[in-house]
Amino acid sequence: MISLKRTSGGVRVDDKKDLSAGSPIEPAGIPGELVLFLSQHTGAPSKPVVKVQDLVKRGQLLAEPQGAISAALHAPTSGKVKAIEPRYHPIQGRLVDAIVLEPDGKNEVFEGVVPRARDLDSISGEEIIAFVREIGLVGLGGAAFPTAVKLTPPADKPIDTYLLNGAECEPYLTSDYRLMLEEAEVVIFGFRALLKAARVARGIVCIEDNKPEAISAMQRAMSPFPELDLAVLPSRYPRGGEKQLIEAVLGREVPPAGLPLDVGVIVSNVGTAFTLGKAIRTGLPLVERVISVTGEGVTRPSNFLALIGTPVSYLIEKAGGFSGTPGKVIMGGPMMGISVKSLDVPVLKGTSGIVVLKKEQVKKDKMLPCIRCGRCVDACPLRLLPVWMAAYAERGLLEEAERARVLDCCECGACAYECPAKRPLVQWIRMAKSEILAKRRAQNHARK
Amino acid sequence: MEEKLVISSSPHIKGPKTVRGIMLDVIIALIPACLASLILFGWKALLIIMASVASAVASEALYEKAVKREVTVGDLSAVITGILLAMTLPPNVPLWIPVIGSAFAIVIAKQIFGGLGCNFVNPALAGRAFLLAAWPMHMTRDWLNPLTYDAVTSATPLAVLKGTGQGTLPGIKDFLLGVRLGSLGETSVLALLLGGIYLIARGVIDYRIPLGFLGTLFVGTLVFGKPGAFFQGDGVLAILAGGAILGAFFMATDYVTSPVTARGRLYMGIGAGFITLLIRLWGGYPEGVTYGILLMNLVTPLIDRFVVPRYYGYAHDRAAKEAAAGGR
Amino acid sequence: MKRSLFHDFIKGFVEENPTFRLVIGMCPTLAVTTSVVNGFWMGVAVIFVLTFSNVFVSLLRKSIPDDIRIPVFVILIATPVVIVELVMRAYLPAMYEILGIFVPLIVVNCIIIGRAEAFAYHQPVLNSLMDGLGIGAGYTINLMVIGGIREFLGTGQITIGSVSFPGTPLFEPAAVMLTPPGGFITLGLLMAALNIAVARSENRKKARRAA
Ligand code: SF4
Ligand code: SF4
Repeated sequence: MISLKRTSGGVRVDDKKDLSAGSPIEPAGIPGELVLFLSQHTGAPSKPVVKVQDLVKRGQLLAEPQGAISAALHAPTSGKVKAIEPRYHPIQGRLVDAIVLEPDGKNEVFEGVVPRARDLDSISGEEIIAFVREIGLVGLGGAAFPTAVKLTPPADKPIDTYLLNGAECEPYLTSDYRLMLEEAEVVIFGFRALLKAARVARGIVCIEDNKPEAISAMQRAMSPFPELDLAVLPSRYPRGGEKQLIEAVLGREVPPAGLPLDVGVIVSNVGTAFTLGKAIRTGLPLVERVISVTGEGVTRPSNFLALIGTPVSYLIEKAGGFSGTPGKVIMGGPMMGISVKSLDVPVLKGTSGIVVLKKEQVKKDKMLPCIRCGRCVDACPLRLLPVWMAAYAERGLLEEAERARVLDCCECGACAYECPAKRPLVQWIRMAKSEILAKRRAQNHARK
Repeated sequence: MEEKLVISSSPHIKGPKTVRGIMLDVIIALIPACLASLILFGWKALLIIMASVASAVASEALYEKAVKREVTVGDLSAVITGILLAMTLPPNVPLWIPVIGSAFAIVIAKQIFGGLGCNFVNPALAGRAFLLAAWPMHMTRDWLNPLTYDAVTSATPLAVLKGTGQGTLPGIKDFLLGVRLGSLGETSVLALLLGGIYLIARGVIDYRIPLGFLGTLFVGTLVFGKPGAFFQGDGVLAILAGGAILGAFFMATDYVTSPVTARGRLYMGIGAGFITLLIRLWGGYPEGVTYGILLMNLVTPLIDRFVVPRYYGYAHDRAAKEAAAGGR
Repeated sequence: MKRSLFHDFIKGFVEENPTFRLVIGMCPTLAVTTSVVNGFWMGVAVIFVLTFSNVFVSLLRKSIPDDIRIPVFVILIATPVVIVELVMRAYLPAMYEILGIFVPLIVVNCIIIGRAEAFAYHQPVLNSLMDGLGIGAGYTINLMVIGGIREFLGTGQITIGSVSFPGTPLFEPAAVMLTPPGGFITLGLLMAALNIAVARSENRKKARRAA
């Protein structure tokens, strides 16, 4: 076990994981329509290789990566390509090109989907990286950064540690927890494949201490492998953020606007490792993922193995439908997720959960003047001063906000959660950030 | 099935803490001291507290009505100001003293600057400072003997300590229970500590402010306590004899007028303790807690400007400091 | 022309009130306003000096070289100041005792120099005369109001000469009002009140014009 180095900020949150923690992962089934956005991930959108009316099978390539940072996209089930057209993208908040697939219900598997290797001795690191690219693997924690890019850091940035993020600090969500509990062996297998591909000698599995069963399951699975180690984190939001994890476990700090690889670390999510582990053994690309459908607003909070592109409405139906009047439907966790206005939107590769809050739960708090209590300052995991950043942002003082490092804020929401005056700190900070960035873009444009 | 869904910016859930809840905690923490004052000084104490609170709440409501702002007495902060001001008054003052003091505290020190969150000095202490300057005779002479309720004008323990008054010092036990001359709420150390510990345990106040305050006062008195003779002062007595405990736990910790960073709050506590020490040992007044805290209130924006944490990912304090200093 | 003369006189009371709007001449304002009477005599001294200096600056404005106008102003101001000082010493020795250094300091009072520089140096004699009278009168009223409030709260009554009103203090006087903090508090509140009143009336005017 690794002893923790330093942690700063964070808040104790009522995690509400009990709602769905007891529900085993179950297949969600095949909905009537799948919507697969060409940009599921961070980076350039992928380019379709199929045409409308084409028949495709489960695991068949639909779109190939374009450019250095991009990812492939595969058919989650067999069926017909109904359309390639713009659809409303819940995260980007605008119309984005998507491949619309009409499943035929037969769920025929593509011929190319064959097991790659039984164990890691029969596959080389380079082959793993190529395979990761081939199956369109992206980080399943939320940002959906293409994994293959992570595994090939520039030569001048030596990597010495690989962190497997099983902290799952977002309240409500239990998809990683269930994976670690039920599929610990596959997760560890996938993690070791990632280690081998990145040629990293040390791997640390990081789990928050509110998941003792997951900890023991993972401990059992990793015990044969001396290169793996375990770090148990105190459960405080947002301990599972990439930067916070690195600080807590290794005592290193990622420089502003830098990446984990700048301090010799790669971080991957439990779901990512699981998908890779399973893919090596079965050949199935990233076409499905575990999604928690939970919250007080659904009748039967569940953890589903859902096809990418499944509509949110279908999953909520599967979870027994709404209980009471829904007030808010959130894609992702309640701290950093995005609320959607329509249930027609599909889940993406990065969607870790769908949280439904009841109408009573989303009452609008009355905003009071800041009483300068400093709770937001104590809460900020980056040791920023949200009270000032927000005050500048509110008054439109962009330069001051920038000097107060508003651009460093990771929008974790800890400050706004704690604020007794219920001030929308993150909203203001986000506003300032986008205005500053827009200004910068305009300046760069003018210079060119 | 298509219901109206709320769209908003994350985070989508908020913590349970509210301004009102925090204020309520402070009021709860003040109850032991209020009860102690009732026992020690009788019905007079009750009247003073009631008059002070009523005046504070009424002035807040009236002022806000007058300038057509939303009436905010519901946040309970005016109640706290009223109680705190009453705590600092001698128990035998005429009742118009708390009424005027609270009105001054609320209208002049708080509302004129924009209400809760915008005042730059602690309203209760500003009210006390005004009263002290306006009617010094009442504020320094109107004592009641504890338990017997006799009006006396003799010297308080602090004045005795300072050598400006005649009298005998009570024993440590009497200090702890509060059986001595002094303001309404400052005498019973045990009751105050009870409330203070409650506030710290509930996470309402930061222990650093009282620690810095009382620590500085203790060590400073120990070292410089007797003129011309080092290490002959009585640090414990310095903490017990005046309003230091009331000030350190309930006045200096006022959010609005103390720094927002943990380190800043420690500095604020130390500063207030230091100024109190200066006034007590070398100044003209026997007691310096009020001005110690008020002066540190004024310095708070400066502390906030220069005492900033080392931001995540920045190698040295300096970069962050420059950023913060330039930012404001 | 007539209207403008009248306006030059009246503007000293509200629009260009030296204390509350222009915020000039603050030292004597804070220092001597512990009673109505003090305020009155200080005001009278300023009226005299200001009118005198305004008139002479205006008379000589064509012949004063631009480069050395400030020294010339000071000399033009010093003359009436010396007159006031000597007269006061002769006929109001008690008052002179109280106002003390602030009488000779009128020489450098920014109201006087300010009006010379901003007004009299560019305006005809009559207008300058009215300006001096108006601003001086406004200043006097300010001093008397501040002095009155402070005297009343600080002593519980108002005393003019040997007559006090009411004969005995109405309440227990607040000593603080006679000290500098009391002066600042009174000044600040009055300034706020006047500014609010002016802003309101301007808003109303604007609204009427819009209607
Ligand atoms: S938590 Fe809210 S009330 Fe407290 S300092 Fe921060 S913004 Fe102000
Ligand atoms: S949202 Fe930004 S400012 Fe607020 S706690 Fe998180 S990192 Fe800090």
